[in-house]
Amino acid sequence: MHELSIAQNIIEIISEQCVRSGYSRIESVNLRIGRASGIMSDALLFAFDAIKTESVAADALLCIEEVPVSGRCSECNSDFAVEEEYILSCPHCGGNSFRMTAGREMDIIDMEVS
Amino acid sequence: MKVKVVTKILEANDRIALENRKLFDGAGIYVINLMSGPGAGKTSVLEKTLNLASGLKIGVIEGDIAGSDDAERIERCGAPVVQINTGGACHLDANMIYEVLSELPLRDLDLLFIENVGNLVCPAEFKVGENIKVMVLSIAEGHDKPLKYPLMFQESSALILNKIDLAPYLDVDMEKIRRDALSLNPKLKIFEVSCKTGVGLPEWIDWLKKQTLKR
Repeated sequence: MHELSIAQNIIEIISEQCVRSGYSRIESVNLRIGRASGIMSDALLFAFDAIKTESVAADALLCIEEVPVSGRCSECNSDFAVEEEYILSCPHCGGNSFRMTAGREMDIIDMEVS
Repeated sequence: MKVKVVTKILEANDRIALENRKLFDGAGIYVINLMSGPGAGKTSVLEKTLNLASGLKIGVIEGDIAGSDDAERIERCGAPVVQINTGGACHLDANMIYEVLSELPLRDLDLLFIENVGNLVCPAEFKVGENIKVMVLSIAEGHDKPLKYPLMFQESSALILNKIDLAPYLDVDMEKIRRDALSLNPKLKIFEVSCKTGVGLPEWIDWLKKQTLKR
């Protein structure tokens, strides 16, 4: 729902770093977005393309790696990943004492500049 | 040329949230980010809380897309209040809070409520400098909400289930709400209340006082 403000943040961060590194054009950007982050990839791609004009990222291609939701069960000590955007119980032992270990990411990893 | 960035997209927000938190800690205030969908009863919970939590000096920041109805309701309860209009944004962020902090008598307060924009999705994602998040869900919204909007249930320390006086008129499975919410967040403290009849509010107020005073 707030993909537009997320896209604005991304453009600010990468533009600043591109210029600081002595380059003037961003060709592509790699993101890691957790499935439980509340971000819809399609909406983020749309928002990014809509506002990237007139920035050093005007021609940049946004590449999103989605990170599945994972957890570690504190009853059977197993590590697991789920298809859903949430964990209700450990898929191995059914226990509901677990810790989410991945799925909330919202990170910019790297970018290709020229 | 490949350039490493390795930055959290919300880093700028998180940094300002940390600054807010330092200001709150310095002033000795406990801060609660109050979240819910539209119409769950956040402002009603605050009105009741202001009337019942005698002994606590409470301030309120109201966040809405437009209008000042909520701030006027809080003002009538006699509490210091600031209204933020986000002008379309679906959540409050740390900078919006920072901008209005000078308008509140922080050093005179024990507790500050930040009533977020009515929305079950985005407010859970943006830290504003709070100690804890508390969410309100009215039972009229339906028992499917924890699994449809898991993040907010996972991020909250307490869930206020409001409008339980409506239970006889609704086909809502309250046990499913409790079960799913606790599965998503086993530490979640659940209060079943009705702001209309007052039932359940004393338990919420007791917990709130303990949270505020133990910090």
